[in-house]
Amino acid sequence: MTVFLSGISVVCFAASYLVALGCEASRPFFRSGVRGAVLLGFAAAGFFAHTLFLGWRAATEQAVPLSSPFDWYLLASWLLAGGYLWLMLANPRTQVGLFLLPVVLGLIGAAQLSSRAPFPQSPATQVWGVIHGSFNLAASVAVAGGAVAGLMWLIQAARLTRKRAPVQGLRLPSLELLATTSRRTAQVAAWTAAAGFASGLVLNAVNRRRGLLETVPWNDPVVLRMGLLVAWLVVAAIIARSLARRPDAARTIAWLSLVSFLVLTGSILWGVLGPTRHGVPPGPVTAHEAAP
Amino acid sequence: MTLAFVGGTHRTVPLPLRERLAFSAEQAAEALERFRLRFPGREAVLLSTCNRVELYAAGEEAATPPPAEQLVSFLAECRGIDASLLAPVLARESDEAVVRHLFSVASGLDSMVLGEPQIVSQVKQAWALAQRTETTGPLTGGMFQAALRTAKRVASETALGRERLSIPSVAVADFARGVFETFDDKRVLVIGAGKMAHETLRYLREAGASDIVVVNRTADRADRLAGRLGGRPGRFADLVTELAAADLVVSTTGASEPVVTTDLFARAELDRGGRPLVVLDLALPRDFDPAIGTRPGVWLYSIDDLGAACEANRRRRQRELPAAVAIVDEETRRFMGDLHHRTTAPVIERLRAGWTETGDAELERLFRRLPGLDESTRAEIRQAFERYTAKMLHSPLTSLRNESRSGPPHGLLEALKRLFDLKE
Repeated sequence: MTVFLSGISVVCFAASYLVALGCEASRPFFRSGVRGAVLLGFAAAGFFAHTLFLGWRAATEQAVPLSSPFDWYLLASWLLAGGYLWLMLANPRTQVGLFLLPVVLGLIGAAQLSSRAPFPQSPATQVWGVIHGSFNLAASVAVAGGAVAGLMWLIQAARLTRKRAPVQGLRLPSLELLATTSRRTAQVAAWTAAAGFASGLVLNAVNRRRGLLETVPWNDPVVLRMGLLVAWLVVAAIIARSLARRPDAARTIAWLSLVSFLVLTGSILWGVLGPTRHGVPPGPVTAHEAAP
Repeated sequence: MTLAFVGGTHRTVPLPLRERLAFSAEQAAEALERFRLRFPGREAVLLSTCNRVELYAAGEEAATPPPAEQLVSFLAECRGIDASLLAPVLARESDEAVVRHLFSVASGLDSMVLGEPQIVSQVKQAWALAQRTETTGPLTGGMFQAALRTAKRVASETALGRERLSIPSVAVADFARGVFETFDDKRVLVIGAGKMAHETLRYLREAGASDIVVVNRTADRADRLAGRLGGRPGRFADLVTELAAADLVVSTTGASEPVVTTDLFARAELDRGGRPLVVLDLALPRDFDPAIGTRPGVWLYSIDDLGAACEANRRRRQRELPAAVAIVDEETRRFMGDLHHRTTAPVIERLRAGWTETGDAELERLFRRLPGLDESTRAEIRQAFERYTAKMLHSPLTSLRNESRSGPPHGLLEALKRLFDLKE
């Protein structure tokens, strides 16, 4: 059993999701009696392997489970993959995989580029670390989910404006559902991102007072990018709320959610590629791949 | 001949004659009972819908199905029609053509509306009725099961039955459902008394709509319409208020000028609170000023827009036809291969029995000569003989099966009979 679990690699579930994405992408081109079963099989197998992989890492890592940037991205992609599976089973008449699976695969790609080394931890900061990471994770998943809903809203609205029947194999959820999802995720993303940022400040203060970790300066790239992201998400949530009773609110929120996703993507790329003191133990300053 | 068919459809039988020829469920059951007594040992299934009456008959060897003329006379007799009236309008088929026809019928390829799905359940009901009256057997059983499998494949592997063709169904399923997730919390406003309003509301009610308001220029008419459509009447004078409260409007007045102008709509829009509005303008001339469709949050569909979507769906169905026909052809070939292979069963049985008998006799002789063999050794030798027999039979049986795909393998069967001296 141990050999089996330790043998599961990122490639296993990434390949499964890729096959599922291929099946989704082929829907508009031809019909098949077995595609649904193949799609569900690969998506479920990928999710199962993904779960085992994360479980195995949580059980075998020395630090708090899933605390490295690598694990963090994989956990975010796992949540989105789970959401995709749930949507596929709960509402099989609509096809959302074409939009959700690329995000899942993108996060897995980001994980591959990130450090697998866990952040240095101490019992004193562990709780704040978990809170900080969890809020940031929730914000990122909400932004990604909102962007997928927003993109689908724009495509569905374009079809309805052009007065065309749905394309074979690309039946999207209703505008009502997509608009509700975008609106709610905008609020959730803003609140959780703000909470994540605030808990990060507390964590930093605790570290500084106790000399446990290198203090992250205000001009650190991670602080800047997270600050920008939080600022944007809060502005987007305020705009979304203020437009609620206007007839063009849904379209504006859809665009806002896409911009939020671009800001998040830029923030992740900045984090993956840039140097930081975020999560660095006390000692000489070194370039370090950042956590989100 | 093992399979026979006579039948007429909307294409071949004039409506007055089709009405006389149609069977109710009770009449069909009586007809099948009569068939069983008249043609013992034969199988029959009677399919009667509003567009077709078809009798499928089957039988083997001594009890081959009755000739087509007898089947025509039988149908005429059952419905009290002069057979000379039916004979020129009923189609007749035999063997493979019967199978292909049934598979096409079950898949909706022979229907008035290409790909319509109701025919599958009608075929199922016809087969179930024949089972109850005990006129089915292995031939019709296999054929109807294969027909249902073919219909299922056509439905799942092509988009033939997916595209909607009527304006109300397209309006609700392809457009209104694209905007709203549910209809049970939506207000539906019906303006006017056009005939398409009733049909559109049927689809909306199936989707969950229950809050329906009907307005008409004449209050009495609105009352009557509301009663008929299962909604409540509203006053035409309150049209602005009703528009402000509505989520979906079905408009079918006979007015020569737009009933809802941009000015009137602008007043209603003030109280809508930004909620989206779907307008199905099914009137000709249009009831809504087309400029209203450019307002944010308004999804306005005229009868021309919906008609164009229906036409596009119709063309898509036609494009699916070759794929559906290919499935029917493939399933027909498979069924006929299996049917032909059935005819080889007696010869295979005799061949197998001959080899087994010879093998058993040789084994007995061997065991008598070697009395010292223990039971496990005997079992090993017996199994070796069985494996040898199976392997020797494998090639001729495979050849028979392959040959069956293109027709009854009479030549091979004859050769096997002569080579191995197989007696009838």
